[in-house]
This record gives sequence, structure tokens and C-alpha cells, in this order.
Amino acid sequence: MRLLEYPFFRNALLGGAITALVCSWVGLFLILRKEAMMADGVAHTAFGGIAIGLFLGIDPILSALVVSILAVLAISYMRKLGLASSDAGTAVMLATGFAGGLIVISLAGGFNIELFTYLFGSILTIDRGDLVTVSSLAVITMVFLGLFYKELLSMTFDEQAARLVGIPVAPLSIAYNVLVAVTIVLSIKVVGIILVVALIVLPGLSALQLNRSFRGTMITALGFGMTSTVLGTFLSAIYDVATSGVIVFTMVGIFLFVAAYRRLG
Amino acid sequence: MGNTKEASAVRMSRIKRKEEATVPAPVLEVRDLDVSRSGDIVVKGATFTINEGDFVGIVGPNGGGKTTLLHAILGILPSKGRIRLFGEGINRFRRWERVAYVSQHAINFDPQFPLSVRELVGLGRVRRGNLGRPLRKEDWSAVDDALGAMDLTELAYRRIGNLSGGEKQRVFVAKALVRDPDLMILDEPVAGVDATTMERFYQRISDLNQERGITVLIVSHDLTAVFCRMSKVMCVNHDVHYANITPDLDHNELLRKGYGEHFHFVFHEHSCEGVFPRP
Repeated sequence: MRLLEYPFFRNALLGGAITALVCSWVGLFLILRKEAMMADGVAHTAFGGIAIGLFLGIDPILSALVVSILAVLAISYMRKLGLASSDAGTAVMLATGFAGGLIVISLAGGFNIELFTYLFGSILTIDRGDLVTVSSLAVITMVFLGLFYKELLSMTFDEQAARLVGIPVAPLSIAYNVLVAVTIVLSIKVVGIILVVALIVLPGLSALQLNRSFRGTMITALGFGMTSTVLGTFLSAIYDVATSGVIVFTMVGIFLFVAAYRRLG
Repeated sequence: MGNTKEASAVRMSRIKRKEEATVPAPVLEVRDLDVSRSGDIVVKGATFTINEGDFVGIVGPNGGGKTTLLHAILGILPSKGRIRLFGEGINRFRRWERVAYVSQHAINFDPQFPLSVRELVGLGRVRRGNLGRPLRKEDWSAVDDALGAMDLTELAYRRIGNLSGGEKQRVFVAKALVRDPDLMILDEPVAGVDATTMERFYQRISDLNQERGITVLIVSHDLTAVFCRMSKVMCVNHDVHYANITPDLDHNELLRKGYGEHFHFVFHEHSCEGVFPRP
């Protein structure tokens, strides 16, 4: 408990919990839309954005945000034009973003140590400024999800039926995808580009196994996401191992526990 | 004297206009409609009118254009010709809350999708008019009414993936019903269920038509149900043939236009007795 006396640890817990809350909520819709890998694709595209930011000397999170939003819009556009399904479009943007990042790194003259922290996360370095950024983006995302919860659920369940009753499916889909990009970028600081997909997918996937209503599944997913992030941060500090790795392992542990509980129960 | 005659004519014209205004427009008016899919004309020259309270069975061979016709009526597919819903051209029609549609694929959802029966029926209350607002108390009481009307109250909190085929179909009708529609369009809602479930289903739809005055269009391969229960029949096989179901209707003459000249359907009025009592 002495850990809580350190401001950096309190920042880590708070930043991690807020991020987990948003990721779990956004992620549940992403799983149900069968677009879970979009999270991985956008995260890898963000790598290109971070490299550009470091190269140009601007805030890498900001450049990653711009590149990620452009990536999700490109995926939507390719899908709309019939050039590629969401799945294939995600693969295209993943490769393009990551390749772009590699080129920028080589132009910069080598691998930057700062880039390493974005690849694998650095939750313990979250400062007050990061907390403000994470909280602001989280509020925007949660207000959107709170307002358009029933429309998103309706179009996720049956897009054609939603369109027929006059729900503006196309603008809402684009807005949702932009929020996915925002959510992923704000999670990079917590678990890093490589593992961000876990934060998005695992809480929802664990909750889905419990066979609950949508409301029940959503609340459970948020609970799993926040619990595993807080617990993972504590365990990593106690055993002095990589925080992002322990957070993801805690999530995997919860997933396996729920799977076993369901089989046995 | 002249002025009195003129005033009287104006008055009569006003009364006539008022009378015309109170006559409800047909629920659906289709004229010379052509619908294509991938460049091929699937429905050709369809012309028919559906009035308030009609119970219309749409029959015809697979691939004949029944679903395509419905998709054109719902504005999902582009078409040539005229479609008017409640007196308004399809391109200008915005009151979609008056129309409820249950697609033939509705029940083929992901069984893992985390929705309770009550939550799914609640989605029927989501519309452009309440965009960005949570469902209100009156919406949930309409949901409970629709669940009651379809005998689903006891299943309200069950996950939709755990329902039987017949229960799923009733849930989707409840979702359509909760919108309090004037026109309900059902595309093969009882495909793949047993005879008893099918019979009960048609009974419920018939009750909704009779008791609530909902106009119903239903695609069905069950010709006995169509001729016993419904007021009109539409036979679709690229061309559309439409008739009132009356005792003197020659069923086979109509059906052969859609199914081919060798088609023969054995039907007697007494076929409906007991199993499908005509309302």
C-alpha cells in the first residue's frame, strides 16, 4: 500500500483505469462488429505517426492521433468503394503505417530509444499532463458512446434494419471508427502499440462468455478491464516486471478463469 | 342570384375537397415498377394497390423476385416506376416509423450476441426521432406490451441466442410491433419451423391484422395459410399478379401465372376449417 504514496504510481493507476474503462467499452462494440483486428491495425499505423512526431519534433501522441484517424477513415473509404473489406483494409493500413514508420526511423538515422517506450508502453511515466490528455479523450469517447449507445447497438446487431428506421448509419460508423483511433492512441502510453489490442479485446471477450444481456456484458467488461489494469499495475510493481506485460497477462488470466468457470459451471 | 350560385359552388367545392382529404391514401401504391439486380430485371411492370387493413400473402417460386420487390418498396433497392407509401413518393417518404420490416435473415443472427429478448425488442423503439436520447419509460412499457402480445413475457430476460426458431420469430415480430406500425412487412417469417408453431404464428399475425388494423404483407410458401387467412394474394415471378381472395377466385389460374402451367394446387374452402378457421 506504500506504493500509493508515490504520485507516479497514483498517476499510473488513475491513467490506466480510465484507459481501461474506455478501451473495454469501445472494444465490446468492436468485437461485436467483428472488427477486433482493426485495433491492432490502427495501433501499428500509429507507430508511423509516432515516428513522424519524433522525427519532426512534435508531440508523438498528436501525430499518432492524426495518422490513426486518417487510417480508420481510409479503411472506411476502401470498404465503401468496395476496394477492400474492413479486414483487408485494416491489413493494408497496418502494413502502410508500419512501413512508413520504418522509413522515417531510417531517415532519422536509427532506432530512437523513445520509440521503444511507445512500442511497449510506459504507464509508470504518466504525468499530470498525460492524465489531462487521457481524461479529455476519455470524456469525449464516453459522452459519444453514452449518447449514441442504442443507435450503435442497433446498427451493430443489424445494420440494414438500423438504416431502414432512419438511423444515420454511415456518419455514426465513421464517428465510431474515429473514436476507436482516439482510444487506441490514448492507450499507447499504458500498454504500448504491440499490446494495445489486448486492452481493447480481452475484457469484452471475457465478459461475452458469461452469457449475459448487453447491459450486463458491458458492465462486466468495464469491470474486468479496470480490475486487470489496476491489479496488473500493482503486481508489476511488487514483482518488479514490465507493467504492460503483467496487465495483459492479468487480462489473459481473467479470460481463462471465466472460460474454465463457464465450462465447469 | 348569380352571386348566390357562385358562393354555393365554392362551398360545394370546399366540401368536396374536404371529403377527398379525409379519404385515407392507400397504404401502398405501385405503378409500372421495374426492379433490377446486377443489371438483370428481376421484377417487371408491377402495378398494385394495398389499402388500409389488407392482409396480403406474397407467393411465388424461389428467385422470382419477392424479396427484391419488398426491398424496392422499402427503398433499399433503386427502381424505375412509381412507389407511394401512405400517399407520399418513396424518395420523399420520411415517416419510416409507420413501416416495420422483418427480413428473412433476421433470425440468422450471431447466437453469441449478448442481447436479452427485452433489449432486442427495445431496439424496435430506436428511430431517427429519438437519436442520441435514451429510451423513455413509455418506450419500455410499449416493449412490455409487445412482449405480452406475442406471449414472450416469460422469456423477456432470456438471451436471444438461447431461443428456439419459433421463439426467435415471435421476438422479431414483437420488435416490429413495438414501433406501433401501420404497415408490417414480413419476409418468410416461418421458414423452417414445425406445422404447429407455424399455425400459431399465422394466428397471431391474423389477430394483429384484425384487432389492431395493421396492414400486413407477408411472403409465404404456405399456400393454404395464404388462401385461408389472407384477404389478397400476390403471385410474383418477375411479373406480379394480384387478386382479392374471394370464394370465386380461381386459385390455380392465378398460381400458374407464377409457378408455371403444370402447377396444380388442391384447395377447398373446407381445407381451412378447424386448422385455419377464417376470421
